[in-house]
Order: sequence, then C-alpha cells, then structure tokens
Amino acid sequence: MLTGAFDMNPTFYNVYISILRYAAPILAAIILFRCILPLVSFRREPEIWGWLCLPDETKLPITHWENVIGRSKRSDIVVDFPTVSRTHGVLTRYDDGSWTITDTDSSGGVFVNGKKIEIRALKPDDVITIGGIDMTLQPISAKQEARLAHHRARGSSFLTGLSNVLLLTLLQIFCCLAYVMGGQTDSAQSVLLGFGGIMVCQWLLLLFYVCIRRVSFEVETIAFFLCTMGMAAIAAVCPEEAIKQLVAMGMGLVTFLLVGWSLRDLERAKKIRYIAAVAGIGFLVITLLFGQEYYGAKNWLVIGSVSIQPSELSKVCFVFVGASALDRLVKKRNLLLFIGYSVAMCGCLALMNDFGTALIFFCAFLVIAYLRSGSVGTLALAVTALGFAGVVALKIAPHALQRFASWRHIWEDPFDAGYQQTRALMCMASGGFFGIGAGQGWMKNVFAADSDVVIATISEEWGLIMVVLIVLSIVALAIFAVRSAILGRSSFYTIGACTASSILLVQVILNTLGTVDVLPLTGVTFPFLSNGGSSMICAWGLLAFIKAADTRQNASFAVRLVKNGGEEDE
Amino acid sequence: MNRIAGRGVITLLLALVLVAGFSFFIAEFVTQADDWAVFSGSPHVYNGDNINCGVVVDRDHILLADMQDGREYSASEALRKATVHWLGDRYGNISAPAISHYAQQIAGFDLVGGVYSYGDASGVVELTLSGTAQQAALEAMGSYKGTVAVYNYKTGQILCAVTTPAYDPDNVPDIDKDTTGAFEGLYVNRFIQSTYIPGSIFKIVTLAAALETIGDIQQRSFTCAGSYEIQGEKVTCEVAHGQQSLKGAFSNSCNCAFAQIAIELGGKTLMEYAEKFGVTDRITFDGITTAAGNFEAADAAINVAWSGVGQHKNQINPCAFLTFMSAVAGGGQSTKPYLVERITVGSAETYQAEVHTGEKILSDATVQVLQEYLRNNVATHYGDGNFPGLTVCAKTGTAEVGGAQKPNAMLSGFCADEKYPLAFIVCVEDAGYGSAVCIPIASKVLAACKEALDN
Repeated sequence: MLTGAFDMNPTFYNVYISILRYAAPILAAIILFRCILPLVSFRREPEIWGWLCLPDETKLPITHWENVIGRSKRSDIVVDFPTVSRTHGVLTRYDDGSWTITDTDSSGGVFVNGKKIEIRALKPDDVITIGGIDMTLQPISAKQEARLAHHRARGSSFLTGLSNVLLLTLLQIFCCLAYVMGGQTDSAQSVLLGFGGIMVCQWLLLLFYVCIRRVSFEVETIAFFLCTMGMAAIAAVCPEEAIKQLVAMGMGLVTFLLVGWSLRDLERAKKIRYIAAVAGIGFLVITLLFGQEYYGAKNWLVIGSVSIQPSELSKVCFVFVGASALDRLVKKRNLLLFIGYSVAMCGCLALMNDFGTALIFFCAFLVIAYLRSGSVGTLALAVTALGFAGVVALKIAPHALQRFASWRHIWEDPFDAGYQQTRALMCMASGGFFGIGAGQGWMKNVFAADSDVVIATISEEWGLIMVVLIVLSIVALAIFAVRSAILGRSSFYTIGACTASSILLVQVILNTLGTVDVLPLTGVTFPFLSNGGSSMICAWGLLAFIKAADTRQNASFAVRLVKNGGEEDE
Repeated sequence: MNRIAGRGVITLLLALVLVAGFSFFIAEFVTQADDWAVFSGSPHVYNGDNINCGVVVDRDHILLADMQDGREYSASEALRKATVHWLGDRYGNISAPAISHYAQQIAGFDLVGGVYSYGDASGVVELTLSGTAQQAALEAMGSYKGTVAVYNYKTGQILCAVTTPAYDPDNVPDIDKDTTGAFEGLYVNRFIQSTYIPGSIFKIVTLAAALETIGDIQQRSFTCAGSYEIQGEKVTCEVAHGQQSLKGAFSNSCNCAFAQIAIELGGKTLMEYAEKFGVTDRITFDGITTAAGNFEAADAAINVAWSGVGQHKNQINPCAFLTFMSAVAGGGQSTKPYLVERITVGSAETYQAEVHTGEKILSDATVQVLQEYLRNNVATHYGDGNFPGLTVCAKTGTAEVGGAQKPNAMLSGFCADEKYPLAFIVCVEDAGYGSAVCIPIASKVLAACKEALDN
C-alpha cells in the first residue's frame, strides 16, 4: 500500500534520495562519534583494592583483582628483595571481596601463617611470608569500596544511550523508506520487517538494560548500526532474505546475552571453558564428517531447511579456550596444550578447504599466544610454521592459488579471476563519496554482494564515507577493548576481549581489503554486516567478550555490580 | 595484570594494519577511481563493451543514438548508415573511440559524486556533425568507396565526415556471404583510419614549399611537352600543356612542371616541408588518432619528381591533409579538428570543446598565393557553378594506384567565404578522374553544409 503511493510519485523519490545520500552518512557519523568518543576516551584511573603491609610499615597498593607479586619491575606488586622470585605469587580478589594467594612455582615458596601453601584463601590478619618477608593483606573497607565505585568512570548516561538509539532509529527509518520506495513492490514487506525488526530488538535490549540498571549502550549501538547497514545491503541484493537475517540477529542477541551471562562469574566462565573447548573442536569434526561443500569449501552443515557454518560458532568457543586467569597463566607458562588444540582446529579447517576461516583462527591463536606468553619468539615460530603450511596448502588447493595469482592483477583478467573485485571497484568508484542512492546499485548482480564483497554494495549505494565509518567503528571497538584491559578484573576477560576484538579486526581486514584488492579475496564475512546467520551469531558472541571487559561503573551486563560497590545505585 | 594489559598492543597492531591497509585503498581510490568508474564493462557506464549511459545528438540536437538502455539508433535508416562509423555498432565491429573517450563526462563522473545525477539524468553528447550533411554526403558518394569530410577551419568542428561503404546497424548485412567485394573495408572509418596516395592534391604541398624557398618561382615559366625526362626515366602528362606560368601549371596540374620544381627543391627540402606542414602526421583529437601518412623523396631524382606530384610512396590520411588545408585557408596556422562539441548531464556541463590552433607553418605571402591559385583552379577549370553561393578554392587529384583498378579520385580545398569557413576533402577509390567524380560529390556536400551553417 505504502509502496503504491510512492510509485506514483517518482519525483518525490528522486528528491528523497538526493537528500538522503548526504543525510545518511552525516547521521551515521553523528551516531558513531557519540558512541566511539566515550569508548576511546573514558578515564582510566588506577583503582586501589587493598594494601600489602610490610614490616617497615610501608603499604604497597594493590591495584588489580589479579596481581603478580614479584621482584620483576613489571610485576603488579613489586617487592624488590633478592630473596623474592621475579614472579613469586599471584594475589587474586573475587566478586565477594575475598582474596587468595597462589604460589607460582617460586623458588622460596609462599607461606601463610608460617605454613607453605600452593593456594590459600586469605583471612583477615593472616601473615603472608614471601622470601622471608612477612606481610599482611589489608583489603579496602566497604566504605572505601563504595567511594571507589562512586569515582569510577561510568558508562555513559541512560539519556545518551537513549538519544543514540533514537538517532539510529531515525537512520533505520530513512534507510527503510529508501528501499521501500526504490525497490520492487513485492519486497517492500520483507524490507519493512527487516529494518523494523532491528529497531524492535535494539529498543528491547535497551529496555532490558534499564531494568538491570546498566546504562552503557555504545558498543551495542555500534553493532546495531552495522546490522542496519547489513540489512541495507540485503534490501539491495536479496530482500527476501531480510527476515532470515533478522532471525539470525535475534539468535545473535540471545548468544550475546548467554555468553555475557556466563562470563559474569569468573568461576562459571572457567568451567564453561572446558565445555567450549569440546564444543569448538566438536563443531568442526561434525562438519568435517557430515558437512556439505559449497563453493569449494566443505564448511556447511545442513539440518532440514537450515544450513549453518559451525566454524563460526567455533570462533566463540576458541576465545573461551584461549582465555585464562592470571594465576594459572603465570604458573603454567607452557603453551603446548593450547598450540596442539589450535593446530587441530586449523587442521580441520584446512581439510574443509576453508582457508579464510583457518587464517582467522591462526591470527586469533597468535594473539592469544602473545597475550599469554608475551613471547615474540613464539609468534615468529608460529608465523614461520604458517608459511610452510601455506606453501603446502597452495600446492594442494589450486583454487586458492588462483586467488593469489590474480592478486594486484585483477584488471588484467576482469571477466574471470578478477571479476568480483573489478566489479566491486567499478561500483565503489561509481558511488563516489556519497553513493548513487539506495536501491540504485548494480552490485546485486555480483556473487556474494551481500557477504564477501558487501562493502562494495554499501559503498556503491551509500558512498565511501559510510564504509569508512563502518571500518572505523570496528577499529573503535578494538581500541576500547585494549583500553579496558588495564582495568580488567581478570586476565581471563582481558585476553577474551583482546582476542574477540582481534578476530573482528582480522575478519574486517580480510573482507574489506580483499574486496578492494589490497589483499587476495578470501571469502570471509564482515562481522554484523555480511548476510549470513552463523557469522551474525558469532559476531554477537564475540561482542559479549568485549562487554565482559567493560568495568566502567554500571556499564556492562556482563560485569557484576561490585558488592558494596554500588550502594548509591543498588 | 600490567603485563597482560601491555600485551594488548598486539590487538592495536591489527587495528593499525586495518587502518594502514584501508588508507592505502583510499589513496588508490582517490587517484584511480576515475579509471575504475569508466573501465570498459563498468556497470554504470557500459553494457558489455558499449557505452550505456547517454544519448548522442548532432549539432542540431537531432537524436543519433540513445545509449541508456541497450543501444537505439536514429529512426532514419539513412542517418543510421551515415553515422555508423562514428557511433559504432552493437557488436564492437566498429568502435566509437570519440564516444568512449568521454565515458567519464557522459557518465557525469567525479570523485566525490560518483556517477550520481539527480533523477538518474542521462548524459547528452552533442557532436559537431550535421545529420543532414551526413546523409547528403552518403547519398552523394553513391556506390563509391571512400570518404568525404568537411570541417570548419576556424573552429575545427567537423560538420560532415562520411565513409563508404556504410551499413545500417539495425539491419546488419550478411557480410560473410558476400562475394561482390561491396563490403570490403566496411568497418574502417576511412577518414581517420585510411591512407591514400594523394595524387595531384599533393601539388599544393610542393607549391607551398616552392613559394617558401624559391624566391622568383612565380616569375618562372614552364614548358610541358607531355613528358619530362630525368636520367632516362620519364614523368608524363596526359597532354602537352605547352608554355605556362606557375599559376597555369598549377591549374593544369602539370606533372612535368611540378617534377621540375620538385627536383629544383630537392628531396631533402621537400621532405622537410612535408614534415613542417604536418601532412603525414598523426592527428589526435577526442580520443581518436589518425593513421600516419608517408612521404619519401630521398633517393633518385625520378622518385623526387614523382613524389612532388603526389605519387611514388606518398600516402596521406584524409583527416591530416584536411588539417593542413585549414592552414592554407586560415592564414598559415592549422586548426585541429574535433567531433564532440559538448557534453551535459542534467543541468551540468561536463565537457565543452575548445579551439586548438597550431603553429604558423605558412607565411602570409605563401598563403595569399596559394589561395589565389586554388581559387583560380575552381574559377577557370572546375566551375563556380558547381558551388552556388560559395567561393571555393580547390585542387583535384587523380592518384594512380596500379593494378587493374581505376585511379583514386581526390579533391581538397576550402571556401573563402567569411560566413562559410569550410575546408573539405573528397577521396574516392577506384573512380577515375578527380574532377569528374569528386566535384559533383563536393558540390552536394558543401551545399548541405552551407545549409547547416545557415540554420
């Protein structure tokens, strides 16, 4: 009905598009600026959770929940005595305010009340002896903790979140109208449902956050913005799949909340880690056994009318597996088990011919290995190994070799090997900075225009500026994850957030730079943006890890409000 | 925690890779997007190899081709045939370099706006051609093969340039099955892609060189006994012209007289002047580059003599010779021809042609004499009655091509009228005498061009 009315007035459509092509990137820039600014600039003041009192009455401040005690200057609590090991022990705080101390295979050992211990919960007035020095732990008082919470950088206010979502809703309405007017009449319904569904989801999530007294919505707004532009690509390429993608986004949100919930409690997360390890490799093995081959890669599992890419879900599991709490990390420096697990994962993917995903796992492995070991040597070794594996892979799979052969030479073979990328660049150039208008694009005729080369589709219709904003928003998420790291309650969260954002980054690098021939085209999806249910679920799952590292006061549902910490709030 | 947090730098490193890689792309985009957007096959500009985003009209805004959705040519069959060598066909047998050269302007591309135009407005390419003159030229050429072209020697606008044989792109003949040879060279735009032995029209070049270098050449008289012997070989005329002035020898197109002049000039000087006048140069305009001509007069005297009268290994491209003729007509400086007048997309003008005048290659004195002699040719020999309302200056040529073929008939000249600054060239293959074949053609075509200018 709506469509019919607009059909009769093509001039209105022309005027609308001529305004929207400038209005949309401006609106998107405002939304993203408002979301990104607090993420990359929030105050990071050291928090003091207690003191370690030495016999000479010096008090060493304890600034984290997980603290390495040792002689090394890079320890969190430096006790510079020759009898103290470089990394002697780990002092850990828990949600309930209790503390433990763990001996990390120090030469001198850790003693509590004169007894040598491996790990021990600390009671008030317990005397800890490290390298012959007696010390006592003095946690902060409930009042101090409340003050700490009060002064902690807060997630942005409810009003900011609300107005961001309002602006995003405006953008969604504009986008939706453009496609309804510019598209086929029979696709109007699915386009309306697709955009409308995203709106409903974001408002419901915001409402849920209000109910649980979490106000920070920047990360989610960015994700919903990306989903919106992904929906725009779907409306342009295959509007009939809008509802399918909406369902996937709904499932992604559930995953987001579930993963976030499981991360809320570190002990629970540590347990789930084992389940995730089994599930991660299990997904791949099942795919290897029962999977279907599409476009040269056997990475699809078809169950009835639903087809999924289990390797996407394995990514979330992999982050779980890679994360680790500090005491364990310092004690067991050995990465062998994790390396073995990673090799098995990559091996499965290589057998499936899914080299794009294998590359993502490999990069995730590198990130985790470095975060855990800090050893550049390990990375060098791993990269060398990949080099050899790559050579072998290219020998086995000429399909992949062809992509490398046409890399940076796409214009020499514009109808065959370089077809997708030359069309992508032609269409991006045709779109200029502001696009040729929603629904006016040609990219829909190119294979994977809504997934592998989705940025070209968006660039053609919405302009290069929109794509720049999209790419920057992912960069902002990564910067946020790294900035949050220093305040992380546990290295589990820090590693999780850094790894998750690294996976997002690698996907964007491979997808975006592959599309524009800066890198070979690997057929990797763009998180949140590409049409594809499994990819969407994975992206939301990874986002939960970023949320779990967000320790700003009342910011994240995946972080418990500190007991005694939010008296004014609770 | 300090250590782990510090290692987060690896994630920042990846972010840096993304930003660096994407910045590299942006740099490529800024510098190369114009090529990408109009690369052959670019979907918003091309359909296959054919431009698919504009309309082409003639100087009177008569539609020649609509290229917005597929390719629709003019409704008139005659006009379709008369313009096919400029507009190209659907199958790429004839390309349209002048159109594809301006793909960017037709598509209205610019870096910031892309190819967006309000309401998807189409590019309009306005050619300098006159559709009516094209049709008149096609008709005048009849069944002859060759080319006839007329252009404004003051501005460079090509009013008319027709190549025969031509065909209707909407009704392509079965060329493969033809055995008559009627379609030989069908896809060649002879005006720009062919070269011809010039024959006597080249005497304009020899005369110009003589006027520039031999001081008393105008006072000389030349005796023609029907043949002129050089080292045992002969240059011949059809009849003995007897004693004649330079002007008479030029209007008689006396080979014997011009052989003497050529030998007196010497091969080296002749070659120098041929080069200076640019008669063998490639001309480049609107993305078109003409075929290169050829002039050799370095060896034996007999060859110098034959070269001087436009035979031997002489080859000229019609467009290049026409351009030289504009220097004779226009005061010693040639004017570069062009085909595309302007391009508009919606209300925006994306291209407007400019006049390009070359260096002075002929002195004013030489120009004056050449104009006088060429005018004399028409007044005394070809007949002003063929060109009502026009003051035509011209020279015919009959170029022997050897074999069983009749000579190529040539004619080149210009109108001296201020109101009709038209230079022209007619090249007809396998035709016979220049004056007999070319003058009726020129007569009709110039009349049509005159009318086009009057309108």
